Amino acid sequence: MSEGYKKWQCMSCGEIYDEELGLPDEGVPAGTRFEDLPEDWICPACGSNKSDFILLED
Amino acid sequence: MTVPVIPTEMIAPLYNPQTFGDRSKARKLFKKIQQEYPVGIAEVPGYDPHWIITKFEDVREITRRDDIFLNAQRSKTLASKIAEQMMREYSGGKPHIFQTLVHMDEPMHKDYRDVLADDFMPQEIAKLSGLVEDTAKKWVDKLEQLGPECDFAKEVAFQYPLQVVCNLIGLPEEDHQKMLRLTQWMFTYADPDLKRPGADPSDPEEIIRTWDITYNEWKEYFLELVENRRACPREDIASKIANSKINGCPMEERAMVSYLIIAASAGHDTTAATTAHSMWQLASDPALLKQLQDDPALIKGFVEESIRWASPVQQFTRSAAEDYEFHGETIKKGDMVYLSFLAANFDDDAFDDPDTFNPARRPNRHAGFGYGTHICLGQHLARLEMTKFWEEAIPRLESVELTDAPKMAESEFVAGPKSVPIRYKMKQQ
Repeated sequence: MSEGYKKWQCMSCGEIYDEELGLPDEGVPAGTRFEDLPEDWICPACGSNKSDFILLED
Repeated sequence: MTVPVIPTEMIAPLYNPQTFGDRSKARKLFKKIQQEYPVGIAEVPGYDPHWIITKFEDVREITRRDDIFLNAQRSKTLASKIAEQMMREYSGGKPHIFQTLVHMDEPMHKDYRDVLADDFMPQEIAKLSGLVEDTAKKWVDKLEQLGPECDFAKEVAFQYPLQVVCNLIGLPEEDHQKMLRLTQWMFTYADPDLKRPGADPSDPEEIIRTWDITYNEWKEYFLELVENRRACPREDIASKIANSKINGCPMEERAMVSYLIIAASAGHDTTAATTAHSMWQLASDPALLKQLQDDPALIKGFVEESIRWASPVQQFTRSAAEDYEFHGETIKKGDMVYLSFLAANFDDDAFDDPDTFNPARRPNRHAGFGYGTHICLGQHLARLEMTKFWEEAIPRLESVELTDAPKMAESEFVAGPKSVPIRYKMKQQ
């Protein structure tokens, strides 16, 4: 994993947010840290809150 | 403010399952509703008044608010007053014959969903990759054997996900067709080719009777299976459901039986519907096959677009637990809302050129699996099944064309093509 990028997973639907990839199609540039996503950001797949994501261990 | 009432003559076809046998007709009607009544209520004789929600963002807003728009209080599908009353009679007072995850609210929904939630996370589903790939190869081989012509829906699409899912549940192969038959009786209760023989779907009593008959046949089968798995647990979904505890107690019987039913029905039927739609697209557009063969990385996008296009779960309903402000109107406590996932997935405001099938569509955050905490538990398995199938089939197909017009099942609820007749050539290996 380059530059310590992390992956986060929505515990409701399983969607994975990969900091290295971001979500460029949805306005989140590659390299955006999870902590830098706005607090009202929601899971793009199911609408769960940001707080419903957990850090995925390697 | 007066709530806009959608004229009954305009909306009446929505209450006729035959309408959904012609997808273009159904989509055209929803488009008209989106344009003329983006917020509106239907007051149709025989039904309680209900809001018709067709816009993509509105469907997402309401399905996300599980705390307000409830699943357990009223029928999950649009049901007449008589039908709902009968469901209560048949189920001992519940508004549903079945009590699956989609019929539950919190905290019950989470308690039951958690039983299988970890097993259906993408990293766990990825572990099934080899198994699914083997089954996919077997069914593409079968496709080759059936050539040069077959009815892809009946002979392949219905069967492949059925086999994957029934094997994961732990059902012996000789019982798989029973699961398919009961699934079709339940979801496509009104289709002349798939309904329970002898049933008269125009009679509301008969529809509920059919659902009760299917529930009881499944119940008899699954209670025996549960007894078996409690005595001799295995590494399968049936054992997990049979032996799981909810707050320290075994699952409630109707909820446990329904958990197995949804796995053994929606678990394959929606994937079958989507796979059949995929082939319908391939057989209608020779350039699509070439596009996917030239760029196999597009197969994932092809699957995702097929899910949007298929929208096999066409609608669900919910009821409001409290007043809710909605586009300047008030959805009042107790009001029913009809959520059209089909309409949402073809909303011009959410998708560029939604009526064009585009495997390169990005992003493609459709509502094919629903939204909110009730989003489809099996979505990652469904994607894996379809991706593996098409990764095997696309490189081996030389050409494919329709030999007749495909036919959609006539159902306003869960449905897909019941016939996709094709002529095709496979490449020599």
